[in-house]
Amino acid sequence: MAKKIRVLMAKPGLDGHDRGVKVIARALRDAGMEVIYTGLRQSPEDIVEAAIQEDVDAIGLSCLSGAHMALFPEVVQLLRKRHASDIVVAGGGIIPEEDIPKLRKAGIKAVFGPGTPLRDIVAFFEKAGSAKGA
Amino acid sequence: MREAVPSRPAAPSVRGLVEDLLAGDKRAAAKLISLIEDDEPEAAEALALVYPHTGRAHYVGFTGAPGVGKSSLIDRLVRDLRSRGKKVGVVAVDPTSPYSGGAVLGDRIRMADTGIDPGVFIRSMATRGHAGGLALATFDAVRVLDAMGMDLVLVETVGAGQSEVEIAGRAHTTVVVEMPFTGDAVQTMKAGILEIGDVYVVNKCDLADPDVLVANLRFQIEERDGWRPPIVRTSALKGSRIDELADAIGRHRAFLESSGRWEARERARARQEILENARRILATRVREGPTGAGFEALVGEVVARKTDPQSAAVRLLAQGAAATKSQDRRTRPSSRPRARKR
Ligand SMILES: Nc1nc2c(ncn2[C@@H]2O[C@H](COP(=O)(O)OP(=O)(O)OP(=O)(O)O)[C@@H](O)[C@H]2O)c(=O)[nH]1
Ligand SMILES: [Mg+2]
Repeated sequence: MAKKIRVLMAKPGLDGHDRGVKVIARALRDAGMEVIYTGLRQSPEDIVEAAIQEDVDAIGLSCLSGAHMALFPEVVQLLRKRHASDIVVAGGGIIPEEDIPKLRKAGIKAVFGPGTPLRDIVAFFEKAGSAKGA
Repeated sequence: MREAVPSRPAAPSVRGLVEDLLAGDKRAAAKLISLIEDDEPEAAEALALVYPHTGRAHYVGFTGAPGVGKSSLIDRLVRDLRSRGKKVGVVAVDPTSPYSGGAVLGDRIRMADTGIDPGVFIRSMATRGHAGGLALATFDAVRVLDAMGMDLVLVETVGAGQSEVEIAGRAHTTVVVEMPFTGDAVQTMKAGILEIGDVYVVNKCDLADPDVLVANLRFQIEERDGWRPPIVRTSALKGSRIDELADAIGRHRAFLESSGRWEARERARARQEILENARRILATRVREGPTGAGFEALVGEVVARKTDPQSAAVRLLAQGAAATKSQDRRTRPSSRPRARKR
């Protein structure tokens, strides 16, 4: 059995909109990846714990509530604490342009705004997964 | 937008991973499950190192139609078992898309923050083309969690599909989940479902009156080998009668042990697994084609009519034991050319 790319899709924060995240989950599935979807309102601790147990290559975080500046970096830090920094973290949602460099600096490997084409997102996770497996 | 992904830390040895597993390390458990699931070259070594530490945990399978509430029940049950001081592993299987080979694994949604408990480990698994409601590696993962020290390992099968029989053959206790409004006419139940359950659950009792279904089930379910499968009416949503379910599962284990069935099952399972492995190793050997002088000599003999193909095959298998050891890895040929080393 070939190694499959595994991605955890999670929604930290309090907003209840998961349409976007589900569209991305399906796109990743259609590209042959295994997507673990953990549902709404997950704490960074829940997300990191799930990512470790599921042994994913990458985490996709979606946040529309505006709390991304607190939540995304916290996920990166918790991964570091658990010696799991090899898990790649990407984020998306409604994220102001000026926040992007700060998030990148905090260890978020890619930030996808609302208009990002799905194929770019798919390509990112494919690359993240293959780089890890290599 | 993108940048190079940092390279992975050096892969720890399988032996190291197993040591960490035995110490209860979740990341080691997760890594071991992956390398077995991906059938990496180290998979056989991992399984061999894990095996001696298994045999304590109670394996409980959950089957039932999609949406009947298996994940929700498991979530509640895990919490109940934790309150009794039990450590619990969960392996939840969802189907792989036959078109893309990918999967969306959603069982974890119902187990929201349960996995963060140090005494709980939850793993989602895609079928990867395996039929029968389980993945090929499902019970290997179960064993990893057993070795980790879990008291129970709960397995959620893919709801859909014809064959729930596989889970019944693998788990110590099989829990069949139904719900009132769809299954009132028990004739409509999938064939076989009445034979495989050790415990029956009628879930979603908050939504409809379960009496008709329960009466029907009670009428049709027969005592098997001295065990009469109990029927538990639950609401996973409300959390009602989950303790009854936990008690029923515990009673079934006690029954298996006191009746000698636990041990009998162990022997049956060992027998079956040895044969399965032998079959697979032989199939791989034959499929990948033996090579070497010995085989070529046999080919020559058959061509020259000095021996017949059947006798040559018998000799090939006899000599193969020594000659083709490198092919005896656990590996099944991959359908995709993307296999990579981790
Ligand atoms: N009213 C009610 N709803 C329930 C109950 N148990 C589960 N549900 C709901 O039923 C839906 C499906 O529940 P799951 O636990 O995901 O069911 P499942 O059997 O694991 O589903 P699959 O894994 O897709 O086969 C969810 O919306 C649950 O909230 C219950 O006891 N009562
Ligand atoms: Mg489920």
